[in-house]
Amino acid sequence: MPLLETEDLVKEFGGLVATDDVNLDVEEDERVSIIGPNGAGKSTLINLITRRLDPTSGDIRFKGESIVNRDPHEVVQMGVSKSFQTASIFSELTVRENAEIAALAAEHGSFGFKFLEHRDSLTGVHEVARDTLDAVGLLDQADRTAAELPYGDKRRLEIGIALAAEPDLLLMDEPTAGMSPEETEATVDLVEEVKRDMGLTFVLIEHDMEIVFSVSDRIVVLNRGRIIAEGTPDEIRGDPEVQEAYLGGVDL
Amino acid sequence: MSDEPAPASESEAEAGAIADTIGIWAPRGNELRIVVGTAMILALFPFVFARMPVVSDLLQGYQSLATLILIWGIFALGFDLLLGYTGLLSFGHAAFWGGAAYAAGVFSQHVSGSPILMVAAGTAFAVLLAWVLGFLSLRRGGIYFAILTLAFAQMMFYMSSSPLAFITGGENGFTGVETAELLGMFALEAELPSAAGLLLGTWLYLFVGVITLICVTLAYRILNSPYGMVFRAIRENEQRAEFVGLNVWRYRLMSFILSGLFAGIAGSLFTIHGTYVPLSSLYWTESGEVVIMTVLGGAGSLFGPMIGAGVYLYVENIVSGGHPFEFIAPFWHLILGLVFVVVIWTFPRGIWGFVRDVRDFVTGGED
Repeated sequence: MPLLETEDLVKEFGGLVATDDVNLDVEEDERVSIIGPNGAGKSTLINLITRRLDPTSGDIRFKGESIVNRDPHEVVQMGVSKSFQTASIFSELTVRENAEIAALAAEHGSFGFKFLEHRDSLTGVHEVARDTLDAVGLLDQADRTAAELPYGDKRRLEIGIALAAEPDLLLMDEPTAGMSPEETEATVDLVEEVKRDMGLTFVLIEHDMEIVFSVSDRIVVLNRGRIIAEGTPDEIRGDPEVQEAYLGGVDL
Repeated sequence: MSDEPAPASESEAEAGAIADTIGIWAPRGNELRIVVGTAMILALFPFVFARMPVVSDLLQGYQSLATLILIWGIFALGFDLLLGYTGLLSFGHAAFWGGAAYAAGVFSQHVSGSPILMVAAGTAFAVLLAWVLGFLSLRRGGIYFAILTLAFAQMMFYMSSSPLAFITGGENGFTGVETAELLGMFALEAELPSAAGLLLGTWLYLFVGVITLICVTLAYRILNSPYGMVFRAIRENEQRAEFVGLNVWRYRLMSFILSGLFAGIAGSLFTIHGTYVPLSSLYWTESGEVVIMTVLGGAGSLFGPMIGAGVYLYVENIVSGGHPFEFIAPFWHLILGLVFVVVIWTFPRGIWGFVRDVRDFVTGGED
C-alpha cells in the first residue's frame, strides 16, 4: 500500500483546470520530486494534499485512509507535514519556541487542556525541539527572536518546524526559492542529511534541477495540471517529451 | 549528564521532587516572585493612593476608586489574553462584564448574598455565555469577528433594556442587589482592624485584592503554560499554527472563554462594589473602554492592561472631578484622548512597553 495516493484528482478554478486527473503514488521511504513549468499545478497539488484547498473531484488517501474530509490540522496529526515556499515562521517568538510549537502539536495532539501546567514540564517537547534545531543547525541561535534571523536561516527554521512535527511524509514546496547560491548549497546538504538520517519519505517541489536530480528516487513531471512523465532521474533526463514541454528542448 | 555541576542538578532534583509532591500547584520559575511582588503592590496601593500624607493629597485618590481600578484591571487583564496574546479584537466584552454583573445581582436577590457565591455565579454565567458567543463569533476572523461580538453584546443590551426588564430593571438598572457579609462575619464596607485598616482600608478592598492576586497568578500560569505559547503562535501566524497540527479554532475558543472568565469575575465584583447594576454596563462603550485600557497600558503584557485601567479610571474620575484640575476638568474626555494619542504615538507598546524600554536601557538589555 502506498503511503500517499491520489486517485483521479481534479481541481478547477472557474474554467481553469489546475489539477487534471492526477494519479500519484508515493511509497514509504521514497523521495519523489515534482517538477514542471510555472503554472503547471505543482503548488495546487501540494495544497490539495495538505487540505488547504478542496478538490473538485477525486480522492486522496494517506496510509490507506481518505483525507478529503479532514481539516488541515488533522492531516498534520496523521503525519503529513509541509514546509512552505516562503519563510512561514512565528516571527515574534524565539527560534526555540518556533520548534517547540511544532513539537508540542506532535507530542500532545491538536488540542489540550493543560493551561495550568508550566511548559517547562513538557520535557518530551523540549527534547524534540532541541534535536530538530540541532539537525537544521540553528541550536546556537535558539534564544534569538525568529524575525532577527537572516533569510536563509529563516528558511532553515521553516524546514525545522516541519521536521519537529515528526512527520511520516514531508512535503517541501521549493525549499531553496529566493536563496543565495551558498544558502541553496547548505539547504541541499540539509535535505540530503534529512534523507540519510531520518529516512523520511518526502515530496519535493523544486525548480533547481541540481537538487531535483541529486536527491530524488523518482521524478514526476507536471504540465498544465497533468502528469506527463514519471521515472528515475536518468529516465526523466532522457525523456524527449519532458525536454519539449518543460525544458524547452534544452539538453541537460 | 555526568559533567553537569553537582549542586545545580541537586537543587533541580529537589525542586522536581517538590513539584511532584504538590503537583501543578507548585510555583515554578518566577511565579513566586510575581505573586509576592503583586501582593505587596496591592497592599500598598490603597494607602499610597488614598491615605498617605502629601502623596494622596496630591493625587486626590480615594478608597472606592482604588477598588474600582483593581476590578477594571482584572477585566483588562483577561481581555489582553485575547487581544494582546491571541491577536483577536473583540468589541463585545461588555456582554461578559455586564452579563456577569446582572447575574451576580440577580443571584444575590434570589439565592444568596454571599460575596464569594455572587462572584462564582456571575463568573459561571459569563463563562457559559463566552462559550456560546465565542462559538458563534469565531466562525469569522478579523473585522467580522469584531462586528459579530459587538452585535451580540448590543443584543444583550437591548434585551436587558426592555424585553427582560422585569428581571433587569430596564433603564433604571438592577437595584435589588443584596450583598451579605463576607463569610457571614465581615461587612464589606467596614474598615479592617488596626494597621490593616490603615493599609488596605475596607474588607471590600481586601476581598477584591485577594481575587486580583488570584487572577494575576492564574493569568501568569496560563501565559507560561503551553497555551501561552500557542496563543502567541496563533497571533503570529495562524496558518502555520494550523499546519503544525494545532486546532487553531479550539485554542481561540479557549482564549475567548478564558477572557470571558476574567470579565465575569470583574463584572461580579463591579456589582458588589457598587451594589447596583447600571444598564450601561452592557453598553458598547464599556467594550470600547476595555480595549482602550488594554492598548494604553500595553497589549501583550501581564501588567500593562492593569496599569492602563488605572490611568484611564484616574483621568475619568479624578481629573473630571475638579480640584486640583479645575481648569481642565470640563475637558477630561479630551485629556483622555490626548493621553492615549501621545502614549500610542511615542510608545506603540503602551505604558508597559515604555517601562520595559527604560528598564532595558538602564540594565543594558540584560535580563
